[in-house]
Amino acid sequence: MNDLFSFNSLLFGAKWVFVGLIYSVLLLVVVAVRREMSLRLGAGKVLPSTAPGSLRILARGTDPKASPGDLLPLGPVTRLGASSNNELVLQDDFISAHHARLRWDGASWWVEDLGSTNGTFVDDGQCVPHHPHPLPAGGRLRLGDRVFELVE
Amino acid sequence: MICRQDISDRRIEARLLALTSLIVLSGFLLVAAGLRVRLVQNPPAWTSAFLFPIVFSVVFFSIHLLLRMRRVTHEQVLLPLTALVCGIGLITVYRLLGSAGVWQQLGRGLLPGLLVVAALILRPNSVEKIRRLAIPLSVVGLALSFATAFFGIVDETGARLALKIGPLPPMQTSEVLKIALIIFLAWFIEREGREVAGRARPAGWLRLPAVRYFIPAGLFVSMGTIALVQMADFGAVIILGVIFFGMIYAGFETRIFTPIALTGLVLALLVGVVLFLTWELPTVIRFRFLAFLDPWSEMMLTIGGEPIGVTVSQGPGYQIQQGIYGIIAGGLTGTGLGLGTPEYIPLAHSDFIFAAILEEMGFVIGVPILIVFVAILLRLLRLAAVLPEEQAFERLLLTGIAIHLFTQLLIMVGGTLNLIPVTGVTIPFLSLGGMALLINISEIGIAIALVRRLEMTSA
Repeated sequence: MNDLFSFNSLLFGAKWVFVGLIYSVLLLVVVAVRREMSLRLGAGKVLPSTAPGSLRILARGTDPKASPGDLLPLGPVTRLGASSNNELVLQDDFISAHHARLRWDGASWWVEDLGSTNGTFVDDGQCVPHHPHPLPAGGRLRLGDRVFELVE
Repeated sequence: MICRQDISDRRIEARLLALTSLIVLSGFLLVAAGLRVRLVQNPPAWTSAFLFPIVFSVVFFSIHLLLRMRRVTHEQVLLPLTALVCGIGLITVYRLLGSAGVWQQLGRGLLPGLLVVAALILRPNSVEKIRRLAIPLSVVGLALSFATAFFGIVDETGARLALKIGPLPPMQTSEVLKIALIIFLAWFIEREGREVAGRARPAGWLRLPAVRYFIPAGLFVSMGTIALVQMADFGAVIILGVIFFGMIYAGFETRIFTPIALTGLVLALLVGVVLFLTWELPTVIRFRFLAFLDPWSEMMLTIGGEPIGVTVSQGPGYQIQQGIYGIIAGGLTGTGLGLGTPEYIPLAHSDFIFAAILEEMGFVIGVPILIVFVAILLRLLRLAAVLPEEQAFERLLLTGIAIHLFTQLLIMVGGTLNLIPVTGVTIPFLSLGGMALLINISEIGIAIALVRRLEMTSA
């Protein structure tokens, strides 16, 4: 009888293990969703202060000042667009005021289209607006009729 | 840095699935131990308590590996959350029906469902072809429902819900009808939505669309309703209605939706009043409504002098009574798996599974289950919002799926807690069921396939 009683209390303890496991799933889901959100917003993390990369101009579009082959240095977060408050100002008919954003997360480059009119393309695939998209070294980035190559 | 690795090898999904497998394993072991403590006759064998969780983990992890092999990077929580609710359902079915029930759940629902998911992941463009199924599937769904209504198997409450064709196991045909309506409406709104909206006549603030556009959809819903009423499957009637109005609401502006909804409501009310005056209320509805008003009534219910059915044999509210007793016995933390008496609740393995879960696992597990369902709903709707605007069909399909899963949950949880009259529908992923589970899991598969397709087109 005593034996059975201790088995019972063992089961009682095991019940809480079960409850704990289910709550840890919920916790993990919350953590995963938050991480995804921070990835999308580019917030929630300390960004590195320097970034190893620059854009090489492959096609300059209608801008007479740019010349193919030039290297444009990049910061950890670089906004590209026609408006003058971007880090990289691209005066062009096919480029929106706030066109795209390049981000270095410490390991790789991400590009996010900011809802531009003519879209942002990585190696001829169009980026989904407002979704970070990986940009590999040597990858071709196209905005309007401007084409760049990422050099790390 | 961490983010990128997590994404490329789906580490979050792997962790969540590992936890879920652990939950299922501990649940099965607890059931086997608890039933032995209560000295139940023929408790399930210990081997089965290890075998089933292993099968469960293997099938879900193979979907996970498939996603990794195909380099799908997004949406890491939908699959594990589905696995979690399926797992809790399996534990409860194991508790109530033993190994036979689990085999049925695995063999007729989970495994075929996950095969469909795997096929959809391998060929994500086949989602495109679903729209071509709109008309054929609607016809098949309606035909099957009418066949069930007249030749189906009569269950203990006098309803015909399942159809048996040849050597196949009995099918819940109303499930086919629900998914057919979702696909049909998504296809219809994608095809005609712009034209309907463009040609709508302005009337003050409202815009009145031409009636002729809604003849096919209206015909579908009314034919379906007739079949379901003949089957006495009133839960499915409510779900069809909610899917219809929900998807029209998702597909049109408010000023077009309002006249459609008002017309629909007026028509439904008219039909209701006419039926109420001319047609005797079907026994099932009358009993369920009486039970809702007074679950403790001791009136004996009979058809032609014969007491009917196990669910109503001791007063109309017997099932609700037993459910409430179970929930009270469970309280905050539950009696412990295998240590309660959910077997007294009629249909505890299907309609009233939430009462059985609350009895043995308690409020502390019942609430997370509801949260997991809300999370699944939000993930589906989020994916629908993220898809490009020109993919109207896919977006509406996801919205319809989300509405379907969630309405079914709400209707049944409300029924279990006696907040609304009980209607015989099952809780998605939890309840014992072949066809229903198969379709619900395939719906999640459609969502995962759409994630893969989105990545393929945007890469």
